[in-house]
This record gives sequence, C-alpha cells and structure tokens, in this order.
Amino acid sequence: MSLLQGRFEPNIVTTSLDWLFNWARKSSPWPMTFGLACCAIEMMATGASRFDLDRLGAGVFRPSPRQSDVMIVAGTVTEKMAPRIKTLYDQMPDPKWVIAMGACAISGGPFYYDAYHVVKGVDLIIPVDVYVPGCPPTPEALIYGVLKLQEQITHDTIAKRPSGKVSLLPAQA
Amino acid sequence: MRSRYLRDLFGGLWSILVSLRVTLRYLFTPAITTQYPDEHRFQPLRTLNRHSLTIEEATGKLKCTACNLCAVICPTRCIELTGAGKGKERRADTFIIDHNLCMYCNLCVEVCPFDAITMWTRIGELSAYTRSGLVYDQPTMTADRFYPTPMTPERPAGAGKVGSA
Repeated sequence: MSLLQGRFEPNIVTTSLDWLFNWARKSSPWPMTFGLACCAIEMMATGASRFDLDRLGAGVFRPSPRQSDVMIVAGTVTEKMAPRIKTLYDQMPDPKWVIAMGACAISGGPFYYDAYHVVKGVDLIIPVDVYVPGCPPTPEALIYGVLKLQEQITHDTIAKRPSGKVSLLPAQA
Repeated sequence: MRSRYLRDLFGGLWSILVSLRVTLRYLFTPAITTQYPDEHRFQPLRTLNRHSLTIEEATGKLKCTACNLCAVICPTRCIELTGAGKGKERRADTFIIDHNLCMYCNLCVEVCPFDAITMWTRIGELSAYTRSGLVYDQPTMTADRFYPTPMTPERPAGAGKVGSA
C-alpha cells in the first residue's frame, strides 16, 4: 500500500490520480518468470510470437520478484514449494496481483482427492485475483485471464473505500 | 597494414549480414501473431473445451438421463448431478460441473450412452474472479446450442474468424 492509499475521501484529485495510476498499472503488468509444471509450457507459448503477451504489456517476464507485478502461478503447488511461493510473493513490491493458472493451481485439480503432497489451491497461501481454468489452459485462455486482470486493475482506487471492507472485485453480474 | 584494416572492416560487416540473414528474411514476411481479443485462432473441431449439455430437439428436454456414469468415471470427481422421474421419463434435475477441478480428459463424453454431453464447444476462455464463478450449472451449459458431430465440417460459417494458419 502506498503513502496515498486510503487517506483521502474520493474527490477530483484522487479520481484523476486513479485514472493515471490504473492506466500505468494495467498497461505494464510484468509477470514473474515462475513456472511450476506443464502450465508453464503454455505460459511460454503465450509469451512467444504466435500469441505475444507483449501486445498487452504483460510479456516482460522478470527474473526477480522485486521487479514484477503479477505472479502467474502456473502449475501444481506442492507442499514443498508452498513456502517458497509465499516467500516470493512477499518479496514482490506492492501493488501486486496473482493469476492462478490451471486446475492444479486453482484447487489442486487431479490431486484434489487422495493426494498428500499437493496444496489444495494456491489461494490457501496467497490471495488470488484471477482464476484461469484449464488443464493446461490454452494461450488464449491465459490472455483472456490477463485481460480480466487488467479490467480489475481499472477498478482499483487510492481513495477511502465507502465501508471499512476492502474489496477489489468489480460488481458481479 | 591499411589493406588488412579494410579487409577486417568489410569482412566483419559481411559476416554480420550473413548471420542476420534469417532475421532479415523474417523482417519482410508477414507476422504470424494472432491478434487475440480481436481475432481468433482457428481451433480444430475436436478441441476439448467447456462442456455443453445437449438437448433433444423433438422434446426440448435434456438428453441426459441421470445415469451417473460420467460422475463415476470422472478422475477428478468434478461432476455432480441428481435426477428426477422414473423409467424412460427420468431426466437430470441438477447438473453441476466444477471447472476448478476438471482436467478436460473427455472421459465423461466417451462414457455417455446418449451423447448427452459434449466438449466440442470452442468455448475456451473461462476466467473468473472467484472460484464459485467457475462452477457451471445446467442453464449455463445448455445456453450454447452448437452440437458438432464427426460429420460436421471443420470450418463452419460463423464459428469465429479464421486466423492466419
């Protein structure tokens, strides 16, 4: 949370700043180079020339969590990997977003029942913004997830929320 | 000395051009990038995507008879359904597929004795902000009335723009 976050009532200054900040943030959600399993292959295909995630500004895969904005959790989250994911998420600077890609990252997927070694959903350890289902999701599905994330970022505000409850979700239809 | 200097200079330039030949060739060929949100890649008919429940055209009811075979064979146990009615009138009452768990293996389609469920729907973009947004129920899965068979032509009119293949 930045210095300005949640300190002012909504007014013309905060809404103008919101527009500027959200435009900048949604135009360059740099993901972290972070692949756990087969979904990472589809993530690489999304970054390659056929689908070209760079068209959305999201194709700059950063090698360090200190430089990245989006964590695309692509693959099975094992119990051994879970503390590392938490550490990497904590090392990312605010504002940060998480995309859970694939059935394994969302809920454990095929390992949901009868598996002792898989975390049943990455949202048990870090907050997830967009869920992209698939096994693995096609590059189009991941790009659609990034577009949904950009749509969510445009709804973010630095002003005080109407209630004490902080909700980043747009109104569900 | 001077001639050797010039030879090194132009030889180096030539070697750069030779090594960049492939790059230069691709600079002047059309890009293969699919402009995704505006333009869709051509997907084969048998691409496995979100499920769709088929409807009998004569009666307007579901073909599903709630025999529970798909729920039993599902490796991730993501299908839940209940049936209502007796004998030949038995039909699915609620039919829920949890796409948080589904691994798109097509086993539920293969095992279905009435072809009541299909995955050849070309609906692959399913992101949601919540996990409950990925649990699809009967009205969602019957909204789409496109039921291809192996006899359906691969490129039907109006099935999305064909990208540069």
